[in-house]
Amino acid sequence: MSAIHHPGEDLLWDYFRGALAPGLRLSVSTHLDLCPQCRDDLRVFTAIGGALLETTEGVAMSDNALDLALARIERPVDLPEVSDAPAPARRPAFLEGFELPPSLQSAEIRGRYFVAPGVWMAPIALPGEPRAAKTYLMCVKAGMEMPEHTHRGREITVMLQGQYRDHKGLYQRGDFTQCDEADDRHMPVMMGDVDCLCLVAQEAAIIPKTWLGWLLKPIARI
Amino acid sequence: MHFDRALTIGSSVRMISPDSKNCAETPEALITRIAGTRDRAAYATLFTRFAPRIKAFVMGQGMTAQEAEDLAQEALLNVWRKAHMFDASKASAVTWIYSIARNLRIDAARKAKRVRELPEDLWQGDGDKAADEQIVDTQSAQIIKKMLDALPPEQKDILRLSFYEDLSQSDIAKTLSIPLGTVKSRLRLAMTRLRTAMDGKSTGVKS
Ligand SMILES: [Zn+2]
Repeated sequence: MSAIHHPGEDLLWDYFRGALAPGLRLSVSTHLDLCPQCRDDLRVFTAIGGALLETTEGVAMSDNALDLALARIERPVDLPEVSDAPAPARRPAFLEGFELPPSLQSAEIRGRYFVAPGVWMAPIALPGEPRAAKTYLMCVKAGMEMPEHTHRGREITVMLQGQYRDHKGLYQRGDFTQCDEADDRHMPVMMGDVDCLCLVAQEAAIIPKTWLGWLLKPIARI
Repeated sequence: MHFDRALTIGSSVRMISPDSKNCAETPEALITRIAGTRDRAAYATLFTRFAPRIKAFVMGQGMTAQEAEDLAQEALLNVWRKAHMFDASKASAVTWIYSIARNLRIDAARKAKRVRELPEDLWQGDGDKAADEQIVDTQSAQIIKKMLDALPPEQKDILRLSFYEDLSQSDIAKTLSIPLGTVKSRLRLAMTRLRTAMDGKSTGVKS
């Protein structure tokens, strides 16, 4: 079973060129961990880059560049090699039993708090994230409902467990969805009897629409 | 702010025909020699062939000549140090070198941004494993290279602006004075074509 909802080429491209803000970047890399198809797209990008590099007309290096290069390889490596796999962060107990993709295993996941009965959120601390942006894991117990809300700015959701449905279709593990101001009344409905866990990245805070939402807002810090 | 860019594309990023006759030894073979015997002559050849190209590439993306030269040095040094990790039977050398340069450029940009915005904050890695893993095999690399030449000019232009000038799709739309939707659909068409070509060569063995 692989993802059927993917980020658009524009988002993948911005990910590839390193131009995404931390929360969006984490969302895309989480999807990539779960989606061979989008990983293939990145391989195509890489292959294009390689082909273009090969056919680029070079700009002359300075005269002593080669000497310098040959001298540098003789120097001992003073810095320890940065290990390819970052050490997994200590994992909070409430995440026991969830299967997190590699992108999230090294993320700094903070303590969770309940925003409604059966609904909790756990913020993810990301270096360099703009203040208005929020990135968090959200878990909704099977059978519960999400508060109705609208969006200000982009909101990305990557499903990690469970299923939900909204006006665009059914979402399962790996599925990536993006909402913005245009999605006026976003009301996802949880499906099945498995708790939903998803990664959410918001560029700006959600504006809850119902009185319940307004009540929840200060508590949920959303 | 990108108004006059379209006019300079042709001159600043000229393509040259691949000089395959002069490259007696493939970059794959050179890297393998470096890995095997720490062959300095192979390194010098590789450096001479790729450092100027990397320099040109990242200068097009907005780096100064000095920054670009430093990055090219760093990229090739990485090739030297990581040569033992390169598997010529699985990966295309050019795409591997490109990935190394690309990762360095992204790191440099993030580091600069962090220093600008959080001067008190020392640089810290964010655990982003970036694209080191996007191994592209030699066969796929060749297919993509061939397909690139065959793309319609308007699709090729989008890719050139994307890669050579490091532009987002909306910047490309502004540069070319065409609607964003057109940029999106051209990139999608190009990607579909390239992806299909790459998939086609390995029927059923997609890992
Ligand atoms: Zn995907």
